[in-house]
Amino acid sequence: MTGTQMRPAERNLGSGDTHPQAPILEVKNLVLNYEVKEGMVSAVEDVSFALPKGRSLGLVGESGCGKTSVALTLMRLTANNARVLGGEVILDGVNLLELDKEQMRLRRWADISMVFQGAMNSWNPVYTVGVQIREAMDIHWDPKPSASEARAKTEELFNLVGIDPEMIDRYPHEFSGGMKQRAVIAMALSCDPKVIIADEPTTALDVIVQEQILEELKKIQRDLGMSIVYISHDIAVIAEITDLMGVMYAGKLVEFGPTADIFARPRHPYTWLILSSTPSITGPRRQLAPLEGEPPNLLDPPTGCRFHPRCPFVIEICRTDEPTLTEIEPGHTIACWNYTQVPVTLSRGDE
Amino acid sequence: MLKFIGKRLIQMTFLFFLFLSLVFFLLQAQPGDITAQFLDPTIPAENRAIIAERLGLDGSVWTQWWNYVTNFITGNLGVSFQQYPRSVIDVIAERIPRTLFLFTFATLFAYVLGFSLGKRLAWRRGGFSEHSVTISGVLLYTVFYPWFAIIMILIFSSGLGWFPINGFLTPELWRNAPFTGNEVFNQLLLSLGIAAVIFSGTMWFARRQDERSTARLVRWVGYGSALGLFVLFWLTKAEMRPFALNIVHHAILPIVTLSLIAFAGTMLLTRGAMLETLKEDYILTAQAKGVPEKDIRDKHAARNALLPVVTSFVLGLAFIIGGGVVTETVFSWPGMGSLLLTATVAEDVPVATGALAFIGILALLAHLLVDILYAVLDPRIRIQDAS
Repeated sequence: MTGTQMRPAERNLGSGDTHPQAPILEVKNLVLNYEVKEGMVSAVEDVSFALPKGRSLGLVGESGCGKTSVALTLMRLTANNARVLGGEVILDGVNLLELDKEQMRLRRWADISMVFQGAMNSWNPVYTVGVQIREAMDIHWDPKPSASEARAKTEELFNLVGIDPEMIDRYPHEFSGGMKQRAVIAMALSCDPKVIIADEPTTALDVIVQEQILEELKKIQRDLGMSIVYISHDIAVIAEITDLMGVMYAGKLVEFGPTADIFARPRHPYTWLILSSTPSITGPRRQLAPLEGEPPNLLDPPTGCRFHPRCPFVIEICRTDEPTLTEIEPGHTIACWNYTQVPVTLSRGDE
Repeated sequence: MLKFIGKRLIQMTFLFFLFLSLVFFLLQAQPGDITAQFLDPTIPAENRAIIAERLGLDGSVWTQWWNYVTNFITGNLGVSFQQYPRSVIDVIAERIPRTLFLFTFATLFAYVLGFSLGKRLAWRRGGFSEHSVTISGVLLYTVFYPWFAIIMILIFSSGLGWFPINGFLTPELWRNAPFTGNEVFNQLLLSLGIAAVIFSGTMWFARRQDERSTARLVRWVGYGSALGLFVLFWLTKAEMRPFALNIVHHAILPIVTLSLIAFAGTMLLTRGAMLETLKEDYILTAQAKGVPEKDIRDKHAARNALLPVVTSFVLGLAFIIGGGVVTETVFSWPGMGSLLLTATVAEDVPVATGALAFIGILALLAHLLVDILYAVLDPRIRIQDAS
């Protein structure tokens, strides 16, 4: 139906189902700039979203759209030249952006842990994987685990993510890429966090291992009721594992809603174009519509809608006024002046 | 690991004999007839031939080489021409502890200080303190070493008078001493050695403790007992103490000078290596885990930055040997470096060959030590060895 091979997450998160309870993580009007020699780079501009407890949320967009900046802001691990100019990150009722450094340090991993982009290099080569997992437990468990407690927990986690517990005392270079990534997931779970951020969790892996890791993450989310934020440029990954998704373009959230709804009917021209430019294996054959142009330079973002220079549905107001996120169906918001012109079906190109 | 060490020892033996032969032929290839220089020309020719034969100076170069190498294995390095009839091994045995003392301390200070300063520099990059320390580091690193040593003597010995100007001991004090310099010196080395063994033993043991509090306790017991034994050792040797202090007093300035020079390179290298490791993903992971800043610096970044620094030690060995000659000459420290220089200048071939051979042995042992250290520090190397 969507014309793509991607399967939206199985559970039907129909429109009425998006607010079952208070969100575990809420980002409100986040604004983040990077200070560079030439001026300020507007990397994240007024981004808001909420993640209900036990659900998964994906942020998707091309390189440089600000999705990793958002992820790092959630952990408060942004680079030194990053300036958070406004907004709130509320995790379970606490605004993380207001905590002092030490309070934030103690919350990292205990409340919000992260599986990094390029998790292949997430391990320090000179310590065993077990030692590195125990380091996190030593910091956050209260009281500190004894040697045998830490070991038991690590074995349990290794079993959960599908690694032989014998590997605990091995060094990272003795792990394969997929195993390293599984072990990172185990480490992310070691302090029972409320939210896990998975930043491109499968990017460096081959497709078969990618699939296995995604299954693993899905299982963890389902079985442990974990709340996960996925960051990916790969819209197929987002389709497969998330309940909710947000599409980012040039630092702005342009569309947000239940993954199934967005894949069934993308309403923002950018989402529509991305999906139209993705080939399908199982759907009907169709010509692909290319997405012309390049993302804008965020040192000097375009006026009005940041997507207007590349948008096929551009109208006059797009060049001057910034559209705000508007709810067009319950739980489905978009930022576009002219979304009614976006076709119901995906583009068939110049066929 | 044992297999690795065994293999390396065999390689080293082979390498050493190659080196020894090279040294032998190089010194043989020098112009001039040794017999003509050292034997009184008024001695009758037949007597000269007898003496030459006794010194092993007859026969072709090849037989001389063969004799030298076979004698070397039995520990016979010949007799000194200059200090005839003292044996070369005796001369070297007297000098080697002094050089080891000087250079072990200077190297330890240089690496410990250079490493800990270097990691701090990289950690707080950009501040005034970082700039000024880095610039002084570059100055020390590039300064002409003999000049710097003389300036140090000028300031601290002749200017401030804190230290003796040169030498290894004060002759007036030792005129009627009940001990020889080396007796005292060897006791000094022995006590330091005991302290070092206890210290490193407990450090090793502390690292194997799972609980941090136990590890800390073990470490403090280690510091305490090493220091305690050292103090006890010298309490029981009341007569020897002033003489030992005299030697230590003489050693301070050369050690400080040498450390300052060697430390700058280590510091700059550590700084560079740290800046590289700080960009690694596992540093971000450690931050995300909520690891305290100090632990990120020391346990994650610096621990990895240590690897290139250890490598530089091997590459720096040549500098240490060359620097040894200069240091010992400038400070009149009677060690292997000054022995090598005087023997070479005086064409005392057996002593020069012997000194070079022993410097070679020291260099090879240092290489082995670093290789073992490397395997301990970097788990990736240990595995490659086992496979």
